[in-house]
Amino acid sequence: MAIVAKKIGKAIGTPPVRILTDINLKIDDGEFVALTGRSGSGKSTLLYILSSLDSPSEGSVEVAGHDLGKMADPELYKFRNEKMGFVFQFHYLISELTAIENVLLPAVKNRRQIERRAYAESLLEQFGLGDKIHRLPRQLSGGEQQRLAIARALVMQPKYLFADEPTGSLDSANGDIVMNIIRDANKNFGTTVIMVTHDPDFAATANRAINLVDGRIS
Amino acid sequence: MIGLAIRYLLAKRRQTILMLLGIFFGAASYVTISGFMLGFRGYLVDQLVNNNPHIHIEAREEFLTSTSLNEAFYNDRYTHVFWSPPPSGRKDNAIVEKPQGWYARLRADPRVAAFSPQLSASVIFTNGKATAPTTLIGCDPLQQEKVTTIGGYIVEGKFSDIAAGGNRVVIGKELQRRLGVRLAQNILVSLGKGPPSPFKIVGVFDSGNKMTDNVAYGSLVDVQKVNGSPNHVNKIAVRLFDHTQAAALATAWENFGPEKVESWDQINANVFDVFRIQDAIRFLSIGAIMVVAGFGIYNVLNMMVIQKRRDIAILRSMGYSTREIISLFFTQGFLLGITGVALGLSCGYGICLYLRTIPFKGNPMQSAGYMLVSTAPEIYLQAGFLALATACLASVLPARAAGKLTPIEIIRSGAE
Repeated sequence: MAIVAKKIGKAIGTPPVRILTDINLKIDDGEFVALTGRSGSGKSTLLYILSSLDSPSEGSVEVAGHDLGKMADPELYKFRNEKMGFVFQFHYLISELTAIENVLLPAVKNRRQIERRAYAESLLEQFGLGDKIHRLPRQLSGGEQQRLAIARALVMQPKYLFADEPTGSLDSANGDIVMNIIRDANKNFGTTVIMVTHDPDFAATANRAINLVDGRIS
Repeated sequence: MIGLAIRYLLAKRRQTILMLLGIFFGAASYVTISGFMLGFRGYLVDQLVNNNPHIHIEAREEFLTSTSLNEAFYNDRYTHVFWSPPPSGRKDNAIVEKPQGWYARLRADPRVAAFSPQLSASVIFTNGKATAPTTLIGCDPLQQEKVTTIGGYIVEGKFSDIAAGGNRVVIGKELQRRLGVRLAQNILVSLGKGPPSPFKIVGVFDSGNKMTDNVAYGSLVDVQKVNGSPNHVNKIAVRLFDHTQAAALATAWENFGPEKVESWDQINANVFDVFRIQDAIRFLSIGAIMVVAGFGIYNVLNMMVIQKRRDIAILRSMGYSTREIISLFFTQGFLLGITGVALGLSCGYGICLYLRTIPFKGNPMQSAGYMLVSTAPEIYLQAGFLALATACLASVLPARAAGKLTPIEIIRSGAE
């Protein structure tokens, strides 16, 4: 099993507000899972818990056999860097860096930027940004910026791609392009994709859709 | 992370330049002000150490009290002696009691480079109608030249010429001006008792210090004769091989006899007090500049941490550790510090070199001719350390604040 969540619960704030309750799920390697639900249903929170960016109030998450709650910080950071990629609703590109520098940022952490350079360029070429690798994010359109963010998420060839409404800030044409890229990553590289989406059409293209209602899997 | 830190700094050029200027001015002003102050101080200390004896052994001035004469008159015969009126005043003939004992001790001490017995007398010099009250110092000129730098200040004649005896004097430039005399001329010297004695001027010295240039030197024997005190000396000037031992030796020698023994730094203690005040002012003024510079860096980096929350979130999601995020922001302060220090020290050094070319004719730097500005390495080390420490300290808090941010906090707060 790639990702196993056992009895996940999450409450935040004082007094505590319950967001997730008793979530149990298993996601296989190479699966494409869509997390759906209405606003406030807890799908983004579940995504961040599954991806180690947030910790559950109860329960545990295992990714590739590692209990995320028991991993030491350095081990977790390394795991996140090498095995996980993130795409957010907003691209979160670093405005001071060029397109290629942004893509190579995960590789810089372990001084692997030279090694990953060719792959980063091929990704940008594949995403239609081959002639814009030296441009700054502000010199790119919204769709291009999000494609750049996906290239950055994939540059380390992660086993898991976590996407939080990656098409949320895009028009339908750019949304389709981004979804195709994510699907291709899942199909061609065997990347396990867990994606939060509001869009039922995009959810329908996933292998499996997990719908959340009031913090529970319905 | 250095690459990204540099990019952040370059992206906000105006703020970066402002932060840099704070550190730059701090380092440059420290180097310049310290160089100027310590240059002057070094010259002054150098003058004190080199021009003057390191230790003065002087006859102690003793004053009579109501019991001073009891022992001499009544020995131990009475417990209480009442005088009407009680004795008062100063003991006459303040002289070094056992000079031969001092000479033997000084000759045997390996730390003593040279010593010169002296007899100073208050006299009045007369040249026609011009009179000048002054001090006539009797000494062995050869020893005196070893103990002080008087020989180096001779502008006419030779200092050693007074050794020949026969009432010869070397006078200071200021005294020469007051008396209106020239070399080889005779002047009259009177002590207020007995007839005046003629002395021949065989040399003139100019130390640049009006006080010093207002005295006259004669041979010890001549002055003893004029003073009517043969074989008496009232001071022994001592030069050491190591001037830093002077205070300790003076304190130790104080126990050898009734004489007052003082080192050059004990005599000039007030000068060192002024130095301490100067240091306090220097550190306070530079400290103020550094505090302002530090707050500048702190404010800008704090703002940057707030503005870069998105970047922190994405970096953390990529696996960058807390320490790496701290280093990203701390590095910016450090780079500003290093650059500011390098520029500030270079500029400060340039200013110091320029100041050295400015002619300065006033005392006490007259002999130097130019402003004395120190470029001692320790000034630059202190300035560099202070400026760098300011920049680093100012960066620590914003960097730590950045390190404490978690990606989920930033994402949840919808950081843009």
